[in-house]
Amino acid sequence: MREAEAGDAPRFLDRLRAGETAAFEELVITYQHRVFGVAVRMLGNAAEAQEVAQEAFLRAHRALADFRGDAKLSTWLYAITSRLCLNRLAKGERRLRRQGEETLLRLAGGERPDVAVERSELEAALQRAIADLPEERRIVVVLRDLEGLSYEEIAEVLDLELGTVRSRLHRARADLKDKLERFLP
Amino acid sequence: MNCHDARESLSAFLDEALAPEERQRVALHLEGCPECRRELARLEQTVALLHRVEPARAPVGFVDAVTAAARPRPWYRRVAAAVFLPFSVKLPAEATALVMVALLAVYVFERTPTLQESARTQPAVREIPRENTVRPAPPTALRDRLARDPSSGERPPESKVRQFEKEQDRREAPAAPRRDATPPVAAPPAATAPAAPAAPAPGAAPPAAKDEGALEKGQAENRQATAPPAAEGSRGAPAAPRLAAKRAAPSADAVTGIAVRDRDAAERDLAELIARVGGRETGRRREQDATIVEAVVPQPRYAEFTQSLARLGAWRVEAERPDLPAQVHVILRLQ
Repeated sequence: MREAEAGDAPRFLDRLRAGETAAFEELVITYQHRVFGVAVRMLGNAAEAQEVAQEAFLRAHRALADFRGDAKLSTWLYAITSRLCLNRLAKGERRLRRQGEETLLRLAGGERPDVAVERSELEAALQRAIADLPEERRIVVVLRDLEGLSYEEIAEVLDLELGTVRSRLHRARADLKDKLERFLP
Repeated sequence: MNCHDARESLSAFLDEALAPEERQRVALHLEGCPECRRELARLEQTVALLHRVEPARAPVGFVDAVTAAARPRPWYRRVAAAVFLPFSVKLPAEATALVMVALLAVYVFERTPTLQESARTQPAVREIPRENTVRPAPPTALRDRLARDPSSGERPPESKVRQFEKEQDRREAPAAPRRDATPPVAAPPAATAPAAPAAPAPGAAPPAAKDEGALEKGQAENRQATAPPAAEGSRGAPAAPRLAAKRAAPSADAVTGIAVRDRDAAERDLAELIARVGGRETGRRREQDATIVEAVVPQPRYAEFTQSLARLGAWRVEAERPDLPAQVHVILRLQ
């Protein structure tokens, strides 16, 4: 995991369950990039991802009182976000088409121009390759290789068998390997 | 382990997510299979590429947006949002619905004559059922026409007189005397003698009604039906109900409005004038803004009577029957 799970401290969970506004704000600050990251990689569009990420936090806010703490907060938030993304993709609620380049240029900001161009090209190719994956494989590779979740956590987030996670991840990586051949050494 | 099985496990092998025994078997296969080793290397490089992807960052202001949206909104904002959001969908739909409702209302109004009638006429007109078959011109229109040409001598048709009387009926209090002019029914005993021979008796109402057309006939029948005892026994029963007397009374022959400066003085002058032309006052009612005087004037002197009204003030005939009877029942409004 990229950040420490300080958000799961019992005292913090109590404050969240009590509906403390400052605690919820702290939660959003802590997990905003991760939740948004899953959404933008899954949906391929920053505006749509922001909408879904906001909805994920609002749903969490409404359900916080019932959060028992069996799972980690991050796992719980990833589960909500993944479900929202998959539902949206399944229902075809796509108001905007993918605009991977726009997102990638923003992500590549602050670098030397030549590095930025190279990186931007790789990012664009990666984004396209990820976006072309079937959704059930895409979410697994995003959670594993971009968000760093363990197999067990992915199984919990997506409510899948461990074997299913493993096979989907393998197929996703194999697809990406074929599509990103020219970037490999 | 063959190559197919080994490659299925390469991804998990990379992540060290295999059980020890399975990991051992894959490792053994890789030692003897350069193709699978190459495949493992490509897979590892692909995963390394994925790890180079910069973590996405939520846009600036995201936290504020989420915390603001999480705050409970006042009920009126929630209602407004439910009604109007999203604007792009709901506003056009609501505007279209509004226009359609308006068009429907106009359509229903156009197709329903009773609605149009109720929008134009006064409630008093609709109280009388037979008005459904005969539609006189609205009273306001009648007044306007008369006001435009008060001295033209044009006599309003019968229906206009009747219309005005209905309006008078509506304005009167239920117990107010009005048709005291009918001698046998409600006139004071002292006043009956001179007027009685000339005034039509209630029993003579049907013949008179014939002359006045279907509308008058219907009213005459109504009179007979509602007040026969009072009409027949009127001489012996001066205390007959006023309402019955009112219904049994013949209609006014003329209605005249007079604008006066001093109502008291005008009332006195009018009483003198009525007496001078041989008529008699049959009723008087003071209202807040006008005094209604009813009188019977002999037809031969009716013209002289109306001319003399000029002394009281500016006057105008508001309605007048075309064929005046021998005893003209006139209603004068002093205001």
